[in-house]
This record gives sequence, C-alpha cells and structure tokens, in this order.
Amino acid sequence: MARIRVQAPQDLVAGASLVAVALFALWAAGPLDSGRMGAPGPGLLPRFLALMVGGAGLALVGVSLARPGESLGRWPVRGPALIALSVVTFALTIRVPGLVVAGPAAMLVAGAASPETRWKELAIFSFAVTAVCTALFRSLLHLPIPILVIPGWVTL
Amino acid sequence: MRPSLIVLAVVLALPLQGRAAYPERPITLIVPFAAGGPTDVVARIVGEHMSRTLGQQLVVENVAGAGGTTGSTRAAQAAPDGYTLIMGHMGTHGAAPAVYPDLKYDPAKSFAPIGMAAGTPILIVARKSFPAKDLKEFVAYVKKNSEKLNEAHAGVGSVSFTTCAFFNSLVGAKPTRVVYRGTGPALNDLVSGQVDYMCDQIVNLVPQIQAGTIKAYGVALPQRSPALPDVPTTKEGGLPEFQVSAWNAIFAPKGTPPEIVKKLSDALTKALADENTRKRLLDLGADLSDKAAQTPEGLAKLVDSEVARWKKVLASASKDAAPPR
Amino acid sequence: MSALLSNLSLGFSVAFTLPNLGLCFLGCLVGTLIGVLPGIGPIATITMLLPVTFGLPPVGALIMLAGIYYGAQYGGSTTAILVNIPGEVTSVVTTIDGHQMARQGRAGAALGIAALGSFFAGCVATVIIAGLAVPLTRVALLFGPAEYAALMTAGLAFAVVLARGSILKSIAMVLLGLLLSTVGQDLETGADRMTFGVASLSDGIDFAVLAMGLFGFAEVMRNLTVDQARDVVHGKIGRLLPTRGELKQSALPVVRGTLLGAVLGILPGNGAVLGPFASYALEKKLARDPRRFGRGAIEGVAGPESANNAGAQTSFIPLLTLGIPPNAVMALMVGAMTIHGIVPGPLVMTRNASLFWGVIASMWIGNLMLLVINLPLIGAWVRLLKVPYRLLYPTIVIVCCVGIYSVNNLPEDVLATSVVALLGYAGSRLGFESAPLLLGFVLGRLLEENLRRALAISRGDLAIFIHRPVSAWLLLTGLIVLVVAVVPAIRTRREQVFVEE
Repeated sequence: MARIRVQAPQDLVAGASLVAVALFALWAAGPLDSGRMGAPGPGLLPRFLALMVGGAGLALVGVSLARPGESLGRWPVRGPALIALSVVTFALTIRVPGLVVAGPAAMLVAGAASPETRWKELAIFSFAVTAVCTALFRSLLHLPIPILVIPGWVTL
Repeated sequence: MRPSLIVLAVVLALPLQGRAAYPERPITLIVPFAAGGPTDVVARIVGEHMSRTLGQQLVVENVAGAGGTTGSTRAAQAAPDGYTLIMGHMGTHGAAPAVYPDLKYDPAKSFAPIGMAAGTPILIVARKSFPAKDLKEFVAYVKKNSEKLNEAHAGVGSVSFTTCAFFNSLVGAKPTRVVYRGTGPALNDLVSGQVDYMCDQIVNLVPQIQAGTIKAYGVALPQRSPALPDVPTTKEGGLPEFQVSAWNAIFAPKGTPPEIVKKLSDALTKALADENTRKRLLDLGADLSDKAAQTPEGLAKLVDSEVARWKKVLASASKDAAPPR
Repeated sequence: MSALLSNLSLGFSVAFTLPNLGLCFLGCLVGTLIGVLPGIGPIATITMLLPVTFGLPPVGALIMLAGIYYGAQYGGSTTAILVNIPGEVTSVVTTIDGHQMARQGRAGAALGIAALGSFFAGCVATVIIAGLAVPLTRVALLFGPAEYAALMTAGLAFAVVLARGSILKSIAMVLLGLLLSTVGQDLETGADRMTFGVASLSDGIDFAVLAMGLFGFAEVMRNLTVDQARDVVHGKIGRLLPTRGELKQSALPVVRGTLLGAVLGILPGNGAVLGPFASYALEKKLARDPRRFGRGAIEGVAGPESANNAGAQTSFIPLLTLGIPPNAVMALMVGAMTIHGIVPGPLVMTRNASLFWGVIASMWIGNLMLLVINLPLIGAWVRLLKVPYRLLYPTIVIVCCVGIYSVNNLPEDVLATSVVALLGYAGSRLGFESAPLLLGFVLGRLLEENLRRALAISRGDLAIFIHRPVSAWLLLTGLIVLVVAVVPAIRTRREQVFVEE
C-alpha cells in the first residue's frame, strides 16, 4: 500500500478548519429543536448546514491528499494583529473619550503595522483625518458619533 | 497641517456644562423600533410639538431589536436626568414580560411614566376574497375552519402576534400562524391572498382598506375610528371582549426627578391639545380618547393592567396553541 | 400611451422646479457620499436626516430621500473598485473585477463604466416604472413564500460561478455564509440560536460587520503582508474613461444587467439583492473566455453595476403602487411619507398624482445629476490611489471603524469586526474567497424564512415547490446554472492558475 502523502497542504488545513467550524456549529446548535422535514424547527437548518460545511471540509481534505496544490505559504502575524488591535482601540475609546481620541489613537496603532510608517507625518495626518471624519459624519450627516466626552464635564 | 489646528480650536471652544434649568440640551427620545414604523411616526409627530414647548430638541433615536426590548433595556439603564426618554408601547411595556422570560427590565418598576401619546387601534383584516361579509360570519368561519386557515403575524412578541393570539383565544381558533419579518411583508402576502387573516395596527392598514385590497372586519375600539368610518367596532360586530390598543407612551428611567417628569408631562399634554398635532395623529387613525392614561398616574395604572392581561392571554394562548405541525 | 406622456409631463413639471431640482441634487450628493463611505448605509443616514425633511413639502422630501437611496447605490461602487470594500450588499460583486481593474491601473475605466452603465440602467428603469408599474405589480403578487424560497435557492447556484479559484471552496463558503445567517433569534419560535447569550447577536450578525471585516480590514491585513501589491495600486493611473473598445465590450452586458436588475427589483421580497449576482453569473457564462473574470474583466463591472442601479429603482414599484415596502430603506420611505401626511398605498397614484409622477420624473433627473457629479469625480478618486499606502491604510481603518460604529452606535459591533477580520485574513491565507460567503449570508435569511413560511402554508408538504409553476421553473433554472457551471469545471479539472490576492 502506497504511503498517503499530503500534496496540497493549504487545502488540507482549509478542509480541516471547515470540519472544525462544522463541529463547533453542531455543538452550538445542540439545544435547538430540529423539528421535522415538513415542519423545520429552529435547529434544522443550522444543523443541516453545519453537516454540509463539514462534508465540504472532508472533501477538501480528500482532495488535498489526491491532487497537488498550494503550499501553506507565509503567515505573517504582526501586521494583522496590530490592525486588529487598532480596531479594538477604536472600539474601547469611541464612547469615552470620543472620536477626538479614538481616531488618532487607532490610526497610530495601525501605523505600527507597517515598517514604512513615518511617525510624525502619521500623527499630524491622523488629526486631519479625524477632523474630516467629524465634519463628514457629524456635521454633514448628523450621525450621533461622540466627538469628545469627558464624564461630568463635556459632552460633544 | 492646518486641520489639526481646527481640531484644537474645536476642543477649546467646547461649551462647559453649567447649572441651568432643565432642559438645557437636546433630549434623546429612544424609539425601540425602526424608523418609519407606527411608534416612530407617533414619536416624531408628538416630539416635534414637545420640542417647541421645552425649548430644546427632542431627538428621536431608533434603537431597534428583539421586539423593542433592546431599546427599552437601554432606556431603563440610562441616567435618570431627563435627557433620555423612551417611547414604549403595548409590546415593550405590556406584553414583553410574558414573551421574554429573561427581560432585563420591569415595565412597571424600571421606569417613571410620563404619559400616553396615542393609542393605535387594532383591526382584524382578511384577504379580499375571504368568504364572510361581517365580523359575525368571520368569527363563525374562523371557528369552524381554523385548522385550514393561515394567520400572518410580524414575529413573536410583535403587536400583530400578541393581539391575534388574544383574538384566537377569544374565539377558540387554532390557525397556522405564519411568521414574517415585519408587518410590510405580512401585508404583502395578505394582499396577494397567500395568507388568510391578520390583526394589526390601523396605521399600517388604512390605505389598503380604502383601496379595497384587503377586507376589514372590525376595529377594537369603543367607537368607530374617524379614519375608517365604515368599519364597525368589535362591539357592533358581536365580539365586545376584543378590546386592544397598541398604545404608545413616553417613559423616563426610574428615579427621574419629579419636577422633570412634571415638565415633560405638561409638554406632552400641551402637544396633545394642539389642533394641528391632533389632526396629524387622527389622520393616521390614532386614538386620542384615553385622557386618563395621558397622565403619569394613569399610565402607571395602564401598564400594571396590561402586564397582567398579557401574562394571562399569552399563557393561555401557548396552552391552546395547535400542537406542533 | 398619451396617458403616459401626460403623466410624465406632469411629473417633470413638478420635478423641474428650482427647489425640487436643488433637493434632488442634494439627495444625490449625500447619497454618493454615504455610498462612498464604507459601513454607513442609506438606512442610518435617512433615519438621521428625517427630521431635516420636516420643513419641506412632501414631494421635495421624498425626492431628496429617493436621491439618497439610489445615490448610495451609485457611490458604493466607488469604494468597491478603489479599495475593495463593498459599501452596500449590492456592490459585493463589483469588488471582484472592479478592484482587479484598479490594480491594473484601470480604475478610471472601471469607475467610468460603472457610472455610464448605472446611468443607462437608471433611464430604462425610470421608463419601466412610468409605463409598466401597475401591470408589473400584479406579476409581483404572484410571488409567495414558495416562489421566494425557490428564487433564493436558484440564486445560491450563482455562487459557483462567482468563484475565482476552487469551486469546492466556493461552495463551502456559500454554506458557511448560510450558516452564519442562521445566527440570532429564530423568527418563528423566538429561540436564540448560537448566540452564546450575547444580546447583540440575537438580532443576527450585521452585514456591515461581516463586510467590513472580510473586505475592509482583512484586505488591509493582506496588503500589509504582500510586498508588491501596494505598488500596483498606486503605481499607474491610466486613462480616466473607458476606451472605445471597452465601451463596445460593455454595451450588451449593460443592457442585460439592466433588464435582469429591473425584473428582480420589482419583487416585493427584496429580490433586488440578487440582481448583480445574477448579472455577473450571466456575463461570465456568455463570455468567450470566462477565465478573464476575476482578473479585471470590464463586463464583470458593467453588468452588475447596471443591474444594481436598475434594481434600486424598480424596487420603488411595490412601494409606490402597493404602499408595501420591499426592504428596510423603503420601509423608511413609507415612514417619511406618513410623517408628511401621505400614507402610501394603492391609491397614492390617483390621489397624489403629482407626488407620484414627480418622484418618478426626479429619478431620471437624479440619474443625470449622478452622472454629472460622478464623472468629474473619477479623476479625484483615482488620484486618491496616489496617496502613499502607509497613510492610506490607517485612513481606511479609521473610516471603516466610524462607519461600523454609526450603523447601530455600538462599540461592540466594532469589536466584532476585528474578530471577523482576523478570521477573514486566515481564510484568505487558506484560499477561501469572501464574495460567495457574503452571497450565502445575504440570501440565507430570506431563504430560511420563506422556506419555513411555504412549509407552514402547505402544512409541511414539500411538493408545494414543484406544484407551483413559478417555483418549479425557478428551481429548474438554478439546477441548470449549477450543472452548466460545474460540469466543465470537473471535466477540465482545476487548471492551476493561481490568482494573487
């Protein structure tokens, strides 16, 4: 019997992740009632879809063993992590103290994701973008974005 | 880079908060439903006049979700300073405790009632081709054929869901309840005859009834609605027990100072006495006859009785409901 | 015919007054703006601008709000093409080929054809609304839950055609999108599904969160990790308008896209979202060399963009003739009319004839204005790509953040987007594409709700989908699309041309 060799590592991992997602969804949909085919309950479609996703994952795993394909490639972590952190920074600062702080802070964190960033330039630019956002979203479109909120003192 | 200077200027020019008479800045009126719906329309019409009385803008903020309970929860947890109010309705401040077992607020205990803005009467309507000429025939037909009939509603906990549950339990009908995401799609399928009947707020239905695309069998009011004078009341039609209204009322968070409640309540009373505001509400089919509930005390009583009523109705409705298909 | 002409002349006499022209222009301008800004859509904007319209006469208010709506559809394509972020559901398809064109230095051509195609579609749709609104309404009423469920099922088959790379992965993504759409409170029973007790999940995952995460942020993450990609974006600028050859190539796709979009837009159950997907699938099938699709085929922009705009306009038909809103934006329009004392319904056409025809005429004028606004802007937009990427990407991040926040004013939404972005980044490393996932997500809810409605009405009899002719035909069409798409793919195996991300 020939040894099974992984010919498409990317597909293998992709398929395995789908199976993992499917198992997770099956677990999450656990307590839901499936009903019957003619009268589906809330759990029928999620469960059915999870099984289909899992099936597609298994098929991908099969393909990865049978046919040559992509390698996994590089997985740089620093850039994406810092972008995500930047978004989180925004989320945590937008209500208090508001956009005046959230905007520049998020942009500076995002800036750390690229080696090309020139800090002084970005710092100035970030205030400019924040001002433009304030003008666009708040003044022009009347959206209730907190601009500067210091509890008990300023609400803008 | 000039714009950074602009930001600085804006920051420096910030108005500092001082002590002044209420209200000294715009008031947020949370509408726990999407803009454009019946509650939203009432809120905006009443809010417009109240803004003039109070000298500050009443800004409507739509916080939709989970049958209005998302917005109501937010209002219940807001600071009781009179700057956050909510336009609650029969669902959020009446039926919700019976529909949502883990509700994060208590309609009676978490709020300081201000007053009812407008009632919106409930109509019983059916597809154009429904074989009944009046409410009596309709009730008889539904009783006899309910297992074959499809009733449309706009989601668990919605006005159409709760009021029709009440109707069904009154006449002892067990139709298949077909759910839609909102009144619009449900109405669409009623017009095209895919479903047989539904109960809903008059505001949504007036134009369809006038155009004859659906049939109205009864309005749940003590007297006929001026918006649809040809539609008999449920009392005339032999179903006097069916008295429901999707009332809309303004609440403040519990703990709001009484002088602020008074100020708001006075502004509301003034708005509801205004000829133009009244006309706009009445044209929509709204009901302004319940004077008692327009006061904080009257509204508190209404909330208590509604919570008790829907608890009973919906408990018996789920007991009587047709077994799972 | 003469009635149509007299109606239209009534409409133009209403729309061609100075204040109404001004409001139409304002609406188009605001619409373009919010279309371009990612995240924030017409719903949030119209909600916030409603009080502003109180001082206006009803016709003017409605003309402006309508302008915001179709202006947003117009503007959405700009962001999709330039920075690969679909501002609206309907511009998801445009990201596929539009952004590739931008990377090849053909952003001007892509933006130009989007504007021209949309203008053509807008003109045709206006005529269709004016002339055929009433008979078409009757057709629309033939669509019940069974038909919608069948339509959505057929729509899912397009996903296979959407795939740039592996078909199997594309199918998996559609299924995953469907699965994600089931998260949230179950409409029928009110049961929370897969929400893990998170309150904000009980209304389901927000489209903006998913789209911004998978496209906006994940795209930035990808670009930061690929060294060459950024130079491609801001290297050359190229022509500002499509060449004669490109125009010729796009002519038929524009016509076909317009018709498809117009037909789907009429359906009261929000069929308009299918238009661009259907058009893309059709063009890819008809193309002599389908492999160009996904690598900057101009037909892949021309067709869907026309379909998108045509659908945006014909979706006014159910609102204007029945008074029944087909989607959330139209529901807002109903509210706007109601607040102005006009309750939309079947009688609006006769009772408020000048309003009805005035709004329709304004749509044509608005489309002309959009063309006038957008064509000169193309130069400016394309120059935007010259901004060094080290400054552009933090700006994209922040504008997306503000956009997501403004949808529901919830910081939690922004947090959720960062998680989606990381997952999207990992997915793209594994060769998964985002467009099919979004297609599945958008159709999922409509599919499940209508399926369960149909089964409730038929008392659980699955044969309802075959007994009703329209539904049977739709299912058959979907099956044919699937077979036509999958069979050659299986026959030729997977030719290993890897499309860079």
